Amino acid sequence: MKPLMLHGHERAITQIKYNREGDLLFSSAKDHSPNVWYSLNGERLGTFNGHSGAVWTLDIDWQTRFFMSGAADFTLRIWDCSTGTQLGNIVTRSSVRTCAFSYSGNMAVFTTDKAMGHPCEIFVVDTRNIDSSFSDNDPIMRIPISDSKVTSILWGALDETILTGHEDGTVKIWDLQSGKELAKAREHTNSVNDMQMNKDQSMFITASKDNTARLFDANNLMALKVYKTERPVNSAAISPILDHVVLGGGQEAMDVTTTSTRIGKFDSRFFHLVFEEEFGRVKGHFGPINSVAFHPDGKSYSSGGEDGYVRVHTFDQSYYEFNFDY
Amino acid sequence: MYGKFGTIINEFYPTDEKNVTKGFIFLEYKNPSDAVDAVNATNNYKLDKQHTFLVNHYSDFEKYSNIPDEWTVPEPQEYKDQGNLHYYLLDPDAYDQYCLICSGGSTVQIWQNAAPEPTVVEERPNWTETYVRWSPLGTYMATFHARGVALWGGPKFKQIMRFSHTGVQLIDFSPCERYLVTYSPDGPSDQRRVIIWDVRTGAEKRSFSLDGVSLWPVFRWSPDDKFFARIGQDVLSVYETPSFGLLDKRSIKIPGIRDFAWSPTDNILVYWVAEDKDVPARVCLLEIPSRQEVRANNLFNVADCKIHWQKSGDYLCVKVDRYSKVKKEKNDAKYSVSFCGMYYNFEIFHMREKLIPVDSVEIKEPIHAFAWEPVGSKFAIIHGDQHSINVSFYGVKQGQPPSLLKKFEKRQCNHLFWSPTGQFIVLAGLRSMHGSLEFIDTNEFVVMNAGEHYTASDVEWDPTGRYVVTGVSSWKQKVDNGFWLWSFQGKKLKKHNIDGFCQLMWRPRPPSLLSAKQQKEIKKNLKKYTPQFESKDRMRSTRASKELIEKRCQLMKTFEEYRQKNIQAWNEAKTRRLELRNNVDTDELESDTKNVEEEEIEFLVKEEHTVIEE
Repeated sequence: MKPLMLHGHERAITQIKYNREGDLLFSSAKDHSPNVWYSLNGERLGTFNGHSGAVWTLDIDWQTRFFMSGAADFTLRIWDCSTGTQLGNIVTRSSVRTCAFSYSGNMAVFTTDKAMGHPCEIFVVDTRNIDSSFSDNDPIMRIPISDSKVTSILWGALDETILTGHEDGTVKIWDLQSGKELAKAREHTNSVNDMQMNKDQSMFITASKDNTARLFDANNLMALKVYKTERPVNSAAISPILDHVVLGGGQEAMDVTTTSTRIGKFDSRFFHLVFEEEFGRVKGHFGPINSVAFHPDGKSYSSGGEDGYVRVHTFDQSYYEFNFDY
Repeated sequence: MYGKFGTIINEFYPTDEKNVTKGFIFLEYKNPSDAVDAVNATNNYKLDKQHTFLVNHYSDFEKYSNIPDEWTVPEPQEYKDQGNLHYYLLDPDAYDQYCLICSGGSTVQIWQNAAPEPTVVEERPNWTETYVRWSPLGTYMATFHARGVALWGGPKFKQIMRFSHTGVQLIDFSPCERYLVTYSPDGPSDQRRVIIWDVRTGAEKRSFSLDGVSLWPVFRWSPDDKFFARIGQDVLSVYETPSFGLLDKRSIKIPGIRDFAWSPTDNILVYWVAEDKDVPARVCLLEIPSRQEVRANNLFNVADCKIHWQKSGDYLCVKVDRYSKVKKEKNDAKYSVSFCGMYYNFEIFHMREKLIPVDSVEIKEPIHAFAWEPVGSKFAIIHGDQHSINVSFYGVKQGQPPSLLKKFEKRQCNHLFWSPTGQFIVLAGLRSMHGSLEFIDTNEFVVMNAGEHYTASDVEWDPTGRYVVTGVSSWKQKVDNGFWLWSFQGKKLKKHNIDGFCQLMWRPRPPSLLSAKQQKEIKKNLKKYTPQFESKDRMRSTRASKELIEKRCQLMKTFEEYRQKNIQAWNEAKTRRLELRNNVDTDELESDTKNVEEEEIEFLVKEEHTVIEE
């Protein structure tokens, strides 16, 4: 399959996400402006200018009205999707590491890093009306995290729970009403880099620095599957139409003393969801892959890498025809 | 020394008129069993060159003076069955075992190289404290501990024997596995640095206190375990077993001796003496125990020599570094000598021919590696400078000087690995050369396959010559650790990525019990045997895929059950979802029929040019 190469960022990509309908692809990077592209042909729609630090995280509400981004400049900003104007801004006390809109779009959750005496905290805010007073509103819920900091976050089904992935590899589920920790799973042995839900929000996949990705049940954190590689996994996604998952990763630049001099050899790997067996690799990135996402219709997927490129791949016929014997 | 057997209550050193000890002492132990141990362990113990301990129980004197005139049959000692130590050779499919050290050295596993997947035979964490060694014929595995060495063997890898030598760092087995040499540089003040043990009984046979070891193994064994020797300043000391004393009670004086090596099959050793002003360097073949010089070769302008025996003992090669000019520079009242214009000679000794003729092959370029074909009569060398590395193969035949068989030019390799059965060789470019591998059949000098294992640090053939393992050890680098299994033809069979992989060592096999004639018979009738093996292989692979398919079927079934529950919950929660999104149905991309807009987009599909008029 011939990929679309989207080159709009000068620094490493940190996260990419499709909107609910899949026609737009949003990307954030360590350069301070997230971009939005048409996923059909790769044409860039625009950039969101305003941040003054590396943008770590982004999310879009289900109606594609609002775009939210959190950055290392200690702000969480909400923008209008179609025009790119900044609507609201929350100033925090340390870098915003993760953020997510709730299923209904009425609430958003974000977390801040542990830095300079401030602990890592989970904030839940009301997003029904976004205007200049947004930053002055009190958060609905504020949960300080005393142990390992949060590296990844998801809303549970029906917005009643919040799922967090931590730097020590634990995954926790929190009750929204009470702010209490409901359950904890200690399966990974190193930092959880990314978590993504499947289409019906019953399961989610975690990507970890311990070279594995794991599939969990979203309600009780039961560990379902493990996908093993030999490189740290930075991101993982579940296909909405087939029993496939894609993993993207790679050794961090500072850990490698000798790299393969063959160019373009960082690959995204496809595993079968149930059999845990790898069946394909897509090469092409010039650096570790930091974020992967399936298009909501499952017919294509994208990957963003350390090299600053976003590659959009459309699957060809052989992908659909491939089947494991069982 | 005797203190370690138990507490000594009494010591009596009888002296004569001049107050010099008569040469014997009386010792009394607290426990009679300690006295028995002391006698057993030290009787006939060689204290040094001239003195041997002869130890008896005091009660023995009574016993011997009271020998009854009738002879009673001594009771047989109970036989401790150690199990079948060679069980692994009886494997019906001839799978080899290998031991794997991983997790940075803390876990040792023994695997059997079965098809299609290798199986673990034994795994023990912290089996050893540093590393592991197989004995030369593969019977035992030795592990290292702070207090000594342990030997394991048999089908369950039970502990066969234990040798206590505190702080042991290096060991060496004798070729027939009868003796074990251990070296501990920082032992307690006992001063016993090197100890030689009997493997079967675990008894200490001899110990030496050597200050510093330049090259291990210090003691080198003759192929039948009858002799062992070491080199000293201008002297070669040869010892014999089982008495462990010096052969003929004296060392052999060889002024200027630099290095020596035993033939792998005969009791002959070769040594070389460095050049001294006008006296040329010499390479000598000495027969033991007769100490007869079987052959000697004088060489001029020698800077250094390296000894390479061929594994079947048919040929010996001495690589001689020769110079054409000597530069003597004077700095600070000392002459420093440097050699210029180096060229290299290979002196090939035909060991099996009468009077051992010697042939010479000269190469003008620097040599990087040399290796004999283990079974056969070829040798390979890597030569050339950094930019143009060549590999040359020479064949040696009885009564003829070596002839150049084939030269491969401009290869990326720095190591040669012959198959233990000969004929096949792997040219490897390890470390700096990106792990490039070439598999060559030397019967036709054809490159069967070329592959690459990036950053490979080690290459090992299995003892039968069927497989090659290339590994990236975590002792050399921390990334991408693991090993790959190749067939002898260079086909990549399997990749094992193991975090913290340190080392893989194949279990050696003892030499085949079949005579050369029988082996030839089998090779001739190979066609008869191959269909048997093929059908077995085919059955095995279908069985494997059947197992795999069953496993997958099971996984899918369990998962589908789980998934059904989720789908049910999803359906039940539909109303809640609609609530959250203002009654907009977003479950499927097309489910929201109200908010859909149809847009017609035109794409340029094809351009066609038709020329209407010329």
